[in-house]
Amino acid sequence: MTSNGALIILMGFLFLFLGYMGVPVAFALIASVLVVTAFTPVSEASMIAQLFNGMDVEALLAVPFFLLVGDLMTSANVTVRMITLSQTMVGHFRGGLAQVVTLFSMFFAGISGSSAADVAVLSRTLAPEMDREGYDRAFTAALIASAATMANLIPPSIMAVVYGATGNVSIGGLFLGGVVPGVLVGIGLMIYSHFFGPVGIRRKRATFGHFTTAAQEAAIPLMIPIIIMGGILTGQFTPTEAGVIAVAYIVFVAIPLLNHRHLRNLPRDMAHTGLLYSIPLITIGGASAFGWMLAYLRGPAMVSDWISTAAGGDPFMIMLLLTLLFIIVGDFIDAVPAIIIFMPLIIELTKNADINPVHMGVVIITTLAFGLITPPYGLCLLMASKFVGVKFSKAMLASLPIYIVFFAAIAFTIYFPDVVLWLPKHLLPQSVGCFPNPNGTGYICP
Amino acid sequence: MRFDGLVLNEQRHLKWRALDPLEHVLMILCGICITGFSVTVLGDVITRAIGRPWLLAQETMMTFFIYGIFTGVAAATRRNDHLYLAVLAESMSGNRRLFFEIFNRSVVLCVAFSMIYFGFLNFLDGFKSLRMPSMTPIATLYIAIPICGALVALFTIEQMVNGWLHGFPDRKGAPHHESAGSEVL
Repeated sequence: MTSNGALIILMGFLFLFLGYMGVPVAFALIASVLVVTAFTPVSEASMIAQLFNGMDVEALLAVPFFLLVGDLMTSANVTVRMITLSQTMVGHFRGGLAQVVTLFSMFFAGISGSSAADVAVLSRTLAPEMDREGYDRAFTAALIASAATMANLIPPSIMAVVYGATGNVSIGGLFLGGVVPGVLVGIGLMIYSHFFGPVGIRRKRATFGHFTTAAQEAAIPLMIPIIIMGGILTGQFTPTEAGVIAVAYIVFVAIPLLNHRHLRNLPRDMAHTGLLYSIPLITIGGASAFGWMLAYLRGPAMVSDWISTAAGGDPFMIMLLLTLLFIIVGDFIDAVPAIIIFMPLIIELTKNADINPVHMGVVIITTLAFGLITPPYGLCLLMASKFVGVKFSKAMLASLPIYIVFFAAIAFTIYFPDVVLWLPKHLLPQSVGCFPNPNGTGYICP
Repeated sequence: MRFDGLVLNEQRHLKWRALDPLEHVLMILCGICITGFSVTVLGDVITRAIGRPWLLAQETMMTFFIYGIFTGVAAATRRNDHLYLAVLAESMSGNRRLFFEIFNRSVVLCVAFSMIYFGFLNFLDGFKSLRMPSMTPIATLYIAIPICGALVALFTIEQMVNGWLHGFPDRKGAPHHESAGSEVL
């Protein structure tokens, strides 16, 4: 029998080779698993069944809804109101439009779990205006891509749903834990744009009247984060149910009130979103089979031993090494398969080092969100550079200084678990392992 | 109701017009699945809120969910809309390009045949397990895998034959990372 290590290397090599040659990720994953299965006593039929088992997870039902929310808001052109509100709030600062990009992304992140939808909206609406005001296109693309990553940090986040579903971690806890790194990235980008970005055209500060009008007009779309997080935090809904309520709100309230003509396009939107959600989910199925085989070959145990030995049991060191691993992994592999493939490793290390699973999840998700702007596979940066009309290499160079913002956010997330877990501890205590005090007053948190 | 524009016209020379209606139907099925899935989840929330839970909701939503995924995978194959890491083959030209394009699709074809054969074995095996509470065999869900495999194989063969005859699109065509597959994160 070939050694497990050699089979793991073969499987990883095949996946990367096929993936980079142009085989779709899901098929590259399945093909590499099927080849390696031939060298083990495991049956191929059980690996194909694993495709199904990987998707047959109730928490994953939320993924289509958080895609649908972003897609419907974008195609119905409702997001323009949120851009106008952002302009009245920060448009008068130095580099006003750059500040608007960041603030809008924070708003939009509270509605949609998809970074790509954010890139699409900003590239269509604000990028041409930034071009007219003389902003460097490379800077525009880098900023839009970086700001869009917040969609994976600020709830609702598809990465958090996938992480929670596969790692059996509270999705509500991950949502709340993601707020701190999300806001940190947002503030970091605003500071960077203020001091180091282009000046743009200085606008007059919006009057209070303009602000209140813009706020009123944006009130309907801005209800969505309240519906989603309010429903989850009050225990009324699971993330899936909160997602469907948000979709119902958009279809029955937001679109009829704000753009009723778009209603006739809904069937087409649904067909496109139906196609869209199948793509990450078949990848999840393929990654699940890959992760299962990796666990069968004891890959996570091997890597976990190396990391534990190198870190000497120090939880912060373990998280740093995992962050390093995921920065490298995120450069080459999409976040969703990366989470699923490495989940057995994460679970093992989290347990061994006695790290809070929500804290670990937030660190990993923040690192993978950073991977969306790093080459060669920085999905958001690839999209933004294409939409804005600038070479990827130029956009990448412009994004290099922004890496500091992400490094700072990741370091803060690792070293200040109390701050990261403050919201989950206070709003959803059981999500971070707190249990009700037997005296009946509050919770006891480990 | 507008369903126009559901058939993607990019990379037209890789497609047979005869299969356009199939892509159209698959896209409509994608829409039906996500709508059915959304309505079922909403129905589940409402019926539980009024204290009369709908027992079949879980099964119904899972059926729409699973069928939606496999229908979408088949449609995405025809539209070349999958999630890609990179497409090094697109930077090549001539015979080398043709070789790698055919090689990539051969890998997809092998996976599709595996989905058909092993998926069918799972389907037969699925009659032994029942879904609760309706007592429907889980084979009714497992059958989606070989059907999807057959459609993926059909669309892959379509692209291989047409690519062999007419060549594959040059880099001016829409790069893969801008396709719908990239809109997921």
